[in-house]
Amino acid sequence: MTPLAWSPRQRGPLGLYLHIPFCRQRCHYCSFNTGPYRPAAMDRFLAALLREIDLVGEAEWAGDVAIGTVFFGGGTPSLLEADELETILDRLRKRLAVAPAAEVSVECNPESLSRDKAEGYRLAGVNRLSLGVQSLDDDLLARLGRLHSSQEAGRAFEAARAAGFDNVSVDLMYGLPDLDLARWERTVREILAWSPEHLSAYALTLDEGSRWAGEGVAGLADEETVTAQYWALARLAREAGYEHYEISNYARPGFRSRHNQVYWRAEEYLAFGPGACGFLGDVRYGNVKPVERYCALLEAGHLPLGSHEVLTPAQRTAEKVILGLRLSDGVPLAGLEDRRPLIDTWQSLGLLEVAGDRCRLTEAGFLLSDSLFVELLPAHS
Amino acid sequence: MALSRIRNFSIVAHIDHGKSTLADRLLALTGAMDPKKAVDQVLDSMDLERERGITIKQHTVCLPYRARDGQEYTLNLIDTPGHVDFSYEVSRSLAACEGALLIVDAAQGVEAQTLANFYLSLEANLTIIPVINKIDLPQADVEGTRRQIAEILGLDADDAIPISAKLGTGVPEVLEAIIHRIPPPPGDPAAPLKALVFDSFYDPYQGVVVYVKIFDGRVRAGMSALLMSNGRVYEVQQVGVFTPEMRPVEELSAGQVGYLTAGIKRVADAKVGETITDANRPTVVPFPGYRDAKPMVFAGLYPVEDTAYQSLRDALDKLHLNDSALTFESETSLALGYGFRCGFLGLLHMEIVQERLEREFGLTLIVTSPSVRYRVVTAAGETVEIDNPSKLPPAGEIDHIEEPLVRASVFAPTEFMNPIYRLAQDKRGEHRALEYLGKRVHITFDFPLSEIIVDFYDRLKSISKGYASFDYDFLEFRPSDVVKLDILLNGDPVDALSVILHRDKAYEKGKALAEKLRAVIPRQLFEVAIQAAIGSRVIARETVKAIRKNVTAKCYGGDITRKRKLLEKQKEGKKRMKQLGKVEVPQEAFLSVLRS
Repeated sequence: MTPLAWSPRQRGPLGLYLHIPFCRQRCHYCSFNTGPYRPAAMDRFLAALLREIDLVGEAEWAGDVAIGTVFFGGGTPSLLEADELETILDRLRKRLAVAPAAEVSVECNPESLSRDKAEGYRLAGVNRLSLGVQSLDDDLLARLGRLHSSQEAGRAFEAARAAGFDNVSVDLMYGLPDLDLARWERTVREILAWSPEHLSAYALTLDEGSRWAGEGVAGLADEETVTAQYWALARLAREAGYEHYEISNYARPGFRSRHNQVYWRAEEYLAFGPGACGFLGDVRYGNVKPVERYCALLEAGHLPLGSHEVLTPAQRTAEKVILGLRLSDGVPLAGLEDRRPLIDTWQSLGLLEVAGDRCRLTEAGFLLSDSLFVELLPAHS
Repeated sequence: MALSRIRNFSIVAHIDHGKSTLADRLLALTGAMDPKKAVDQVLDSMDLERERGITIKQHTVCLPYRARDGQEYTLNLIDTPGHVDFSYEVSRSLAACEGALLIVDAAQGVEAQTLANFYLSLEANLTIIPVINKIDLPQADVEGTRRQIAEILGLDADDAIPISAKLGTGVPEVLEAIIHRIPPPPGDPAAPLKALVFDSFYDPYQGVVVYVKIFDGRVRAGMSALLMSNGRVYEVQQVGVFTPEMRPVEELSAGQVGYLTAGIKRVADAKVGETITDANRPTVVPFPGYRDAKPMVFAGLYPVEDTAYQSLRDALDKLHLNDSALTFESETSLALGYGFRCGFLGLLHMEIVQERLEREFGLTLIVTSPSVRYRVVTAAGETVEIDNPSKLPPAGEIDHIEEPLVRASVFAPTEFMNPIYRLAQDKRGEHRALEYLGKRVHITFDFPLSEIIVDFYDRLKSISKGYASFDYDFLEFRPSDVVKLDILLNGDPVDALSVILHRDKAYEKGKALAEKLRAVIPRQLFEVAIQAAIGSRVIARETVKAIRKNVTAKCYGGDITRKRKLLEKQKEGKKRMKQLGKVEVPQEAFLSVLRS
């Protein structure tokens, strides 16, 4: 089984995710698939990545189905030099039908984003940067294991602007150890004053595989505090003219992340890089995670598929609803007829709104969304 | 086979005194089983029995034995269960025997069930051979045990055979004693067939396999067998003996113990105590029948998933095929929907049934708090029996309520007397008699049955470091100041959580129960108020706060599968939840009524 055997179901543009699996230092809360940055490992990885693009490019449909969004995630994609990134993008354009107006995003860490690099990225075709700021408290940044200071974060944002980026997103984290509500509100206000087009804010979770999950961490916020921080952000962002368009995402009108919406709308996307996940036809798949294994497979001429699962129609339908409800656009009511009592309950609790032929979670509903999603999953799965 | 060469006997003992070990030893010694192939304690074949180290379902095995006199004998060992809940099962196997080996642990001495089994054996007119086991233990006191056998049981101490079933010491003497002391079965092979059904089990291929003791006549395949209590006639398909596997034989004749199959579809059609005779040449007087096993403890069994009601009925039907002491009738609970009110011999029996239903039939069950059967005398002078708290008439219509009392024997070393009396007091026990037996005491109490069904035995064991033993018999119904304690969730009473209990205990129990429920009911989208009430008076209140946040912030890099799997795991956990109104209550909540 390889992605080559699975054809996209949709005719519209696909998303495309590339995973850059290296970091200079692993953040203490991070459980993602990333390892220490070594130039030689990066070189080997880049060669393998190009090989992967070539192989997928051999798919029958490769030339016909447009790629609407490209997202460089990681890891730390901004470890890539501009020419390296250009090589990857060029190869993508050569092998796949990347749409001329595609959204091309790169996740950047402030300490590795200079104005020159940002300009190089833009010239290579990148039109959106996502800056991993996380916090504006230097002591907290140090505790998180980040390598930048708040000042560097500001400078990186300015560098992006100076390089001509008019679509910049900022990543923040709340519910951090010893982060009180006042400090959080100050952070949000300051970030909003930068006027980014997009803002993602994630509550800290201690996922298995992270240092904090393993060692424990002192001063964790209680549920009340995390909830209060969620509401403070929601209020301040609204006042500043942002739309709360997804559970953890805010955007000024016209600047929602097109790539992330591919996920939430249960649309299809290709995956490149170790551990990257894709969705094609009825198949959700993931590449092998270890970089070494990923490279070795490609060097031997094989696609690095690690796992896949074929969704049943019921799973597919359920996913569509569950993912769609993460968005403020919500989902069509059609197809939820048999869940009416559940919807009525959620509506009566102010967690869900029905408007016309659609229903959507309220901001209060976002906070409890997993409780609803569990109910909406098909029983037999 | 000549009657003079047959011996039918049982082994009776207090739990852990070594009954199964001796049985295995006898099997090995007589060659009924290849010792190399012997699985420890073969007679305890049901998984659950093995896990819990007790015998629930009795087994029978036929042992060929060449005695020291050079003659070949057939020894039929009829195994009996060894737990306080199952003494009725003991009585029905004893009726098929002429003798019993009464085992007493040389380190423990006579215990409560030693005595109970001794009386059952006497009632069945059996020849009793006292056997002192575990003489190999350093703490064994053979002479002290002999004295107890003489003083407490009134048997001739010199008749007791000291053995170590574990090592095999003395076991050959036991075999010889069986031959010489237990009389051969009476009976006339030439008379019309008269066979007693003393147990049965359901086999999916052969139908009901009936355990029989032949008192007169002979039975063989092809005969027309008449079941005298219901007049049904069956053609006998197979007769045989247990070796311990089922081994077909040509015929079973007077004095022998074995099995027959006759295409009988339900165990209920060949009840224990039934008389089987030859339809063409019937015997005149049937057996009087055994006493029916009376369930003492009642609880509601409900499937967590409503759709499993029929599966639960089928499963109960199947269990009932092999367990006639289990009773069940359908009932409805406002909270739990359709289920069954089941009767059990005791709490262990209940747990075993529940475990078998879950394990062997894949059901997920909610078991409501066990209750005894109360007698309610109404203001109108009528008497109603209530085994379900939710069926209790309103207080205004009740004149008084009577609860069942039991007479209980407790055996323990004297040093544990004080804690035992304290426990008895806590359990509303009334002291009846005290007897010193050397370093041990035999205390008789009357207890309300409701007080001893749940945790009495466990607590007794724990306060006496495991040394106390306990047995009881139903005594009488007696008026008592009992009340119904209700649990309300967000103002709605949950019938399945109601309990009947003594007024003096209601406050404490209500408080404990509300606290326990607060701990086991997960937080929901709204606040859940838990109240314990007697009538309209609330005696305890707890609150489960509303959940504030349950959200996956991020599905990194489009890894939707991982997120869905996490949600599916949560959903799996919710399968054991029951929706009561809008409140989701986990299965454990119902158990907490039992444990708090």
